[in-house]
Amino acid sequence: MPDLSAVFSILGTLIPLDCMQTGFMQRALAGLLLLAPMTAMMGVQVVNMRMAFFSDAISHSAFAGIALGLLFSIHPHWSMPLLGVAVGVTIVAIQRRSMLSSDTVIGVLFAAVTAFGLAMVSRDANLARDTQVFLYGDILTITDFDLIQLAGLFLVLTVFEVVGFNRMLYLSLNQTVADVHRVRTALWQYLFAALLALVVMFSVWAMGVLLVTAMLIVPAAAARNLARSAFGMFWWAIVISVTSAVAGLLLSAQDWAGTATGATIILIAFMWFLISFVPVVLRRERSR
Amino acid sequence: MCRHDAASTAICFDGLSVTLGGTTVLENITAQIPRGGCTCIVGPNGAGKTTLLMALLGRIPCEGEVRIGVRPDGSKVRIGYVPQMMAFDRGMPVTVLEFLSMGVQRRPLWVGISSSSRRHALELLNMVNAAHLASRRLGALSGGEFQRVMLALALQQQPDLLILDEPAAGVDFRGGQLFCELLENLRGQHGFTQVMVTHDLGLVTNHATHVILLNRRIVAEGSPATTLTPPNLMAAFGAHMGGAGIDQTPCCGCSGSNGEHHEEDGEVRNA
Repeated sequence: MPDLSAVFSILGTLIPLDCMQTGFMQRALAGLLLLAPMTAMMGVQVVNMRMAFFSDAISHSAFAGIALGLLFSIHPHWSMPLLGVAVGVTIVAIQRRSMLSSDTVIGVLFAAVTAFGLAMVSRDANLARDTQVFLYGDILTITDFDLIQLAGLFLVLTVFEVVGFNRMLYLSLNQTVADVHRVRTALWQYLFAALLALVVMFSVWAMGVLLVTAMLIVPAAAARNLARSAFGMFWWAIVISVTSAVAGLLLSAQDWAGTATGATIILIAFMWFLISFVPVVLRRERSR
Repeated sequence: MCRHDAASTAICFDGLSVTLGGTTVLENITAQIPRGGCTCIVGPNGAGKTTLLMALLGRIPCEGEVRIGVRPDGSKVRIGYVPQMMAFDRGMPVTVLEFLSMGVQRRPLWVGISSSSRRHALELLNMVNAAHLASRRLGALSGGEFQRVMLALALQQQPDLLILDEPAAGVDFRGGQLFCELLENLRGQHGFTQVMVTHDLGLVTNHATHVILLNRRIVAEGSPATTLTPPNLMAAFGAHMGGAGIDQTPCCGCSGSNGEHHEEDGEVRNA
């Protein structure tokens, strides 16, 4: 395991606040600095492809992931992402082959995995109590191993966004046109679903099942209001996501606030969303 | 049986049938599309025109065969596709230049548009007389402007086969007319085979070199003059259209070089 203490001390120096001088806060900041750009990048495509419900279904499969981990004696750190990817890929496979609408397919799988997870978790009272952490998330308990996993995912996702961003834009504008114009739509859909599932599952640890979709949607939605191009939307989403994550962590650590970190981050992102309507209104006024 | 002469035939439909949700949408379609011409697929609503295009594009399961010719070097033909009023999220912040760069630029658009992609996109926009739209947002374009940008995207494929589904639908009379003239000029310059679904008989009369008259089955196939006859139109569209032959087309979307139509006070009549 590589020693990350140098990274943590740099973060502590960069933000010379009292609250940032503890190890768990520095780890949490490092985790959010990796997670926030990832949710922003994927969020842009989730919003463009109207896949908010898809990410909700993946996050709710966290319980089933824990249950499967228990059944097969696998640590939830592995069983959750694995199940998330399986659910994501299955949804895409059914969508591509079935006459059913997307939301129906997602709804059916969403219900099945959530029910399975809750049924298994409810059999064990201790486990039921422990799963609270998945509902609300806790970035402050992130470990060095989690950070290394996140850094690996960050690299993979960056490669995906370098190679696949333009194809995903084609796909989100119209799948038939993209297909006819020689974009390998099936490949990109499956890859995107698998990566989105991984990002969602890793975000569950930080934001909780209830708020993980918000971390994907809110910065991207605000960015969409502020941007006039695909280029602009991508960078606005990252700026909004990262600033919300850092400010949310710092605010939640203040004694006078004492709020849950995940919820605070989303509230700040929501403030961004409200601010993003200002240029929309101004543009509308100007065009009258 | 469709006779597939590679030199003169671009596409052969051979005994093609499509059943969707238990309903037969197309039944035993045998027809051919000549290479290099403008083939219009004509028929009433529900005749299976768009379904035939979808079968051609391999987007729906079908019985029978669709044979598409190959390029002189033996590779697959390139297809450009302009859908009917493409459904897309109009709120998506994408500029026309980004739209025309996404299919050709290797580096992601989030690092900007390269100068070569920009130049290429502007060339395409010039081809369709739409260079002034380059920096506009895609969602802010009018129906006619959007169709021209879609045509530019299709031309980016350097197509051997250009497929258009009701390209002038939702576009005003003048816009439709200009679009059709533009297509004819581009076909003359680039030599692609054009396949177009329409129910605008004026457009067919003026621009088609070959017509497939369809009403779930082939009603007639051939040149506009031999296909759009009163008996055939009656068989395809019913009694109300039976009196409208090639000389009395009921509506005219375009006036092109083939036709001799005159526009006066917004009305088009045959000369």
